[in-house]
Amino acid sequence: MEIAKLALRNLTRQKKRTLLLGGAVAFGLMIVTVINGFAAAFVKNVSENFANLAAGHVFVEGVEKSATGKEISIVHDDNAIMKAALEAKIPAKYITKRSSFQSTLLYAGKTAQLQVSGVDFASETFLPDRLVFKQGGIEGMDDRQGVIISEPIAKRLGVEPGDRILVQMKTYTGQQNVGEFAVAGITFDAGIFGNMSGYANKSYVNELLNLASDDYQAVGFYLPSLEGMDKYGADLRAALKEKVQVFEKNTATNENPIRAMMESSKKETWVGTKYRVFTLNDMLSQVQQIVNVLNTVSLIILIILFVIIMVGITNTFRIIMYERIREIGTMRSMGMQRGEVRNLFLFEALFLALGGAVAGLVLASIAMGIVSLVNFGLDTPLFIILKNGHMTFRVEFWRTLLDVVIVAVLTLLAAWLPAKNAAKLDPAVALRTAK
Amino acid sequence: MVIVELQNVRKVYPLGKVEVEAVKGVSFSIEKGDFISIAGPSGSGKTTILNMIGCVDRPTAGTVLIADKATKDLTDKALTTLRHETLGFIFQSFNLIPVLNVRENIEFPLLLGKSRLQKKEKEEWIDYLIEEVGLSQWKNHRSNELSGGQRQRVAIARALVTKPSIVLADEPTANLDSVTGEQILELMKKINREMQTTFIFSTHDAKIVNIADHVIRLSDGLVTENLRKGEHVTASQVGLDTAEGGRV
Ligand SMILES: Nc1ncnc2c1ncn2[C@@H]1O[C@H](COP(=O)(O)OP(=O)(O)OP(=O)(O)O)[C@@H](O)[C@H]1O
Ligand SMILES: [Mg+2]
Repeated sequence: MEIAKLALRNLTRQKKRTLLLGGAVAFGLMIVTVINGFAAAFVKNVSENFANLAAGHVFVEGVEKSATGKEISIVHDDNAIMKAALEAKIPAKYITKRSSFQSTLLYAGKTAQLQVSGVDFASETFLPDRLVFKQGGIEGMDDRQGVIISEPIAKRLGVEPGDRILVQMKTYTGQQNVGEFAVAGITFDAGIFGNMSGYANKSYVNELLNLASDDYQAVGFYLPSLEGMDKYGADLRAALKEKVQVFEKNTATNENPIRAMMESSKKETWVGTKYRVFTLNDMLSQVQQIVNVLNTVSLIILIILFVIIMVGITNTFRIIMYERIREIGTMRSMGMQRGEVRNLFLFEALFLALGGAVAGLVLASIAMGIVSLVNFGLDTPLFIILKNGHMTFRVEFWRTLLDVVIVAVLTLLAAWLPAKNAAKLDPAVALRTAK
Repeated sequence: MVIVELQNVRKVYPLGKVEVEAVKGVSFSIEKGDFISIAGPSGSGKTTILNMIGCVDRPTAGTVLIADKATKDLTDKALTTLRHETLGFIFQSFNLIPVLNVRENIEFPLLLGKSRLQKKEKEEWIDYLIEEVGLSQWKNHRSNELSGGQRQRVAIARALVTKPSIVLADEPTANLDSVTGEQILELMKKINREMQTTFIFSTHDAKIVNIADHVIRLSDGLVTENLRKGEHVTASQVGLDTAEGGRV
């Protein structure tokens, strides 16, 4: 370990040079840590925000097949689902039973598309807290025909709270139908996902869909956290399968799991209601893909940055070897073995990498800390990736460790050749060489 | 007792397409405990011979025996170990390690290889050496804070720390003024007497050879005089057919 100590001292020789190289290492690792931190938080924030929009983490949807082969989404009787949920020990904070339809809104000759969720506001007591109103408010929903829309849709139609708008949609069996909504509230721009959806009273939505008033289409179980949703989904599917017909989850393909379930149900025929169990993760499999891309990109950035840094390290260590050639000769003559000379340089490189890595992580924490202090507000299209209007970062231990190891290995690799050359030096030649 | 023996040693350096014969067939032997001077003008082959005795270089032809071991047959690793265990080095330009202080510089050779010394024993030994070379006040200073003479004293202590049987000094006084140079030689001589360490130093300064027990004069890669106090051996008597023989 004495050689390690000497290596550490050697780094203090040319402080500027050490700072420059260490700084380059630190910068590289900082960039990558920030990207990774963003990617990890991105998935979490999107999932949490989406869980709020979709009102759940684990969902069950009932599907019937009509005589004409059309699929109808409906849950007539949820006894089996609720029993299965109990058996699967789903720790639901809320259970949301919603109906929904895709509609066209019309007002004064202007139109807009809206995904309308029929909500039972009496039971979904948490929803009003989540909605941030720009105009109007939840009181407007006392009107059975009330609707809550987002700001971009309201702008597009040119409506204000109190205005009544025409809605065109199809009943659950596919007949055209029209109704009338009264604008109750307008929420802040909630990003691409949020903009397209609006809330109406379930009783009115059911009426428009031509469903019985206590029928609905899908039930969502809102879990305390994102953790374990896939397991609960699988448990619920297994428990439900004992009682009713359930679609299998096709795990063989790596395409979107929900789309896969839809595809397979098209080919099947069945009688009565068959149930589809899916999770938020299934719905957001694309988000995970985005994150995978981000992580791959950051890894590529890390490697590109470090290939550049490696060139610098290799050159610097060549210079160092030349500068210390007489010292190498001296140490060799005093009995230092070739391997020890090599290790001396490799230790220097390793300490440089580790020092730079620590500095990089500190810099990354500072950078992430500052960015996460910025309040982007709630009325931003970024909403879906933010947490309460703030950008957040999640530094994952193993990923960070991997980055540090990559940095250390690449630095050692860069120093390897000069270190080996230093070790190979003939002591007589090294001693003779004048600096 | 003979500790170093050179038998018809030649050293040829490749220099581009030509070859330089730096040592042209040299034989002599060195007695353990002697204070030996290898003297000769610049380019006469002093460094080349010291390097071969010091096991940092191997002869092109002939045999170099260090404590009865022929260096030619040894691997780099074995040579390094031999250097560590048997030899100490003092250089013309001191060659201290700049990031280490006086004490650490002296200790450095003990950190290499397997140390047989206990910690306490080691500390005492280093303190003794620092005292011996008169640097007790300077223990914690780095080499750039020392004068040339002081640096060479550190180098002497460092060369002795592994208790080598032979210390090699290639022109140890060449970078020092004559008074300091003389002091350094006196110090080496004193240690030579006290510790019975064999010292071999080279010089191009004819005046300082009288301090030696044994003087080997070189000229152009050949021994021109080989004189040990109390005996007188000419080049021809040691079997050098290429030498002119007799005193120079
Ligand atoms: N690596 C080498 N390559 C080629 N020639 C060399 C090499 N080393 C030494 N020589 C030559 O060998 C001869 C002896 O050199 P050496 O260094 O042993 O002399 P020296 O007596 O130590 O001289 P100085 O007093 O200048 O140190 C010189 O002619 C020198 O030019
Ligand atoms: Mg020389």
